[in-house]
Amino acid sequence: MKVEDILKLPSMPAASPSYPMGPYRFVNREYMIITYETDKDLLRAAVPEPLEPNVDGHVLYEWIRMPDSSGFGDYTESGVVIPCTYKGEPINFTAQMYLDDEPPISAGREIWGFPKKYAHPKLEVASDTLTGTLHYAGQMVAMGTMAYKHQESPGGIEAAAKGMTKTQCNLKIIPDVDGSPKICQLVAYNLTDITIKGTWVSPARLHLIPHVNAPAADLPVKRIVGGKHFIGDLTLPHGRVLFDYLKEA
Amino acid sequence: MNKQDVKSLSSMPLQSPTYPRGPFKFFDRQYMIIRYTTDAAAIRALLPEPLEPDGDVVAVQWLDLPDGEGFGAYGAAAQTIPCTYKGHPCTFVNQMIVDNCPPLAGGREIWGYPMKHGKPILHVTGDTLTGQLDYAGQRVANGTMVYKHDAFDHGNIARAEEILNRTQVTLKLIPDIDGRPAIAQLVAVNFTDIHVKGAWTGKARLELIPAVNAPFADLPVHHVLGGEQFVTDMTLPYGRVLHDYLAG
Repeated sequence: MKVEDILKLPSMPAASPSYPMGPYRFVNREYMIITYETDKDLLRAAVPEPLEPNVDGHVLYEWIRMPDSSGFGDYTESGVVIPCTYKGEPINFTAQMYLDDEPPISAGREIWGFPKKYAHPKLEVASDTLTGTLHYAGQMVAMGTMAYKHQESPGGIEAAAKGMTKTQCNLKIIPDVDGSPKICQLVAYNLTDITIKGTWVSPARLHLIPHVNAPAADLPVKRIVGGKHFIGDLTLPHGRVLFDYLKEA
Repeated sequence: MNKQDVKSLSSMPLQSPTYPRGPFKFFDRQYMIIRYTTDAAAIRALLPEPLEPDGDVVAVQWLDLPDGEGFGAYGAAAQTIPCTYKGHPCTFVNQMIVDNCPPLAGGREIWGYPMKHGKPILHVTGDTLTGQLDYAGQRVANGTMVYKHDAFDHGNIARAEEILNRTQVTLKLIPDIDGRPAIAQLVAVNFTDIHVKGAWTGKARLELIPAVNAPFADLPVHHVLGGEQFVTDMTLPYGRVLHDYLAG
């Protein structure tokens, strides 16, 4: 394989790259997001400076079903997102993510620094209940339930689409071959070409079970704020560096 | 978390790093390696410059790793290509499949091991050492080897040590946030503290089934030369950059 071809490869392995070049298009992406209140000191410890956690102590626990994703296929994801501010501007920080498909794990970690691990999340409608479960290394670590489409979200699909444009960020860490940090950055991105097809709010409950390698329960549930369910198409583009720890810290 | 603590994290995510710092010690790591001749032009097309092919014999290997520090218990399968770098003999890791996330993420991010997630299994069934590899629900490789037919050949340990001591080379590719390459390097790894506990050779057979996302069959099996089985303790240390495609 020639050097110019090596430099055009989107990812490892050269013999069959895990993921192609972005951007990545998602069709019929279905979300269940349960917002809850947690301990503010624990939240502060889970958020990297210079991000500031939201003053209300809110956490979003999410399940996302992705049946049709360019380059990635068909998979499901679950995880923890913390609303924050960066220099006063609102931004969502992805704290933990668990999914059942390798290309989006590798692409997620290597391009944007999504903190992804391999596990078995599931989002399904079980009779009258929108149900999310997450199993890690054979054990259940999260179970979320939401009443099924009880009420359309206030503001409807327009407000939901606008909400999806909010800047999101990750802490990207890639070691060098000697173990020292090679990349250590806060990375930001914004979803584009968003079409929301339906959005609902309903009562919800969330159960988090302590597990050392999938520690969602480290941000304990003190009070459920509410549940949101929506379906849409969107594009995940490349991102930008917000803060470089190796240059600025 | 304050900025200095962020800089000292071993890996993502902040709240529970996927893998700790190395080196990584392995206990009772078992290998079945099946060597075969393949198409020389296919080797040349897959091997990244400036590596040079070293013959037309490649290998598919299954590994059972019951006790890997920081990683746990898992299975692996790999396809390797003997080559030279500036005349120095080494082994290029062409493809690798594992069933466990920490070695997958750590393998890719630290050394550039070309790992994907699948189901590799190495087990003894009746009289047969058996390797199976499934990817996305389909079988992509079957390997079988006779079980410890030459148990009293004392040359086998030295042969296993020679294989384990040969420099491994990977092509580490990590994109930048804008999609352009941030890291494009050939990385060299040499195992340390190798303690081979048992080693055997014998007849083997190998079948590779074409599959686009685990294309082991792109190096087709012309002739199977034989199999090697061994059990070892060893340490996987950090690596070193052999060649940087982005430098200069």
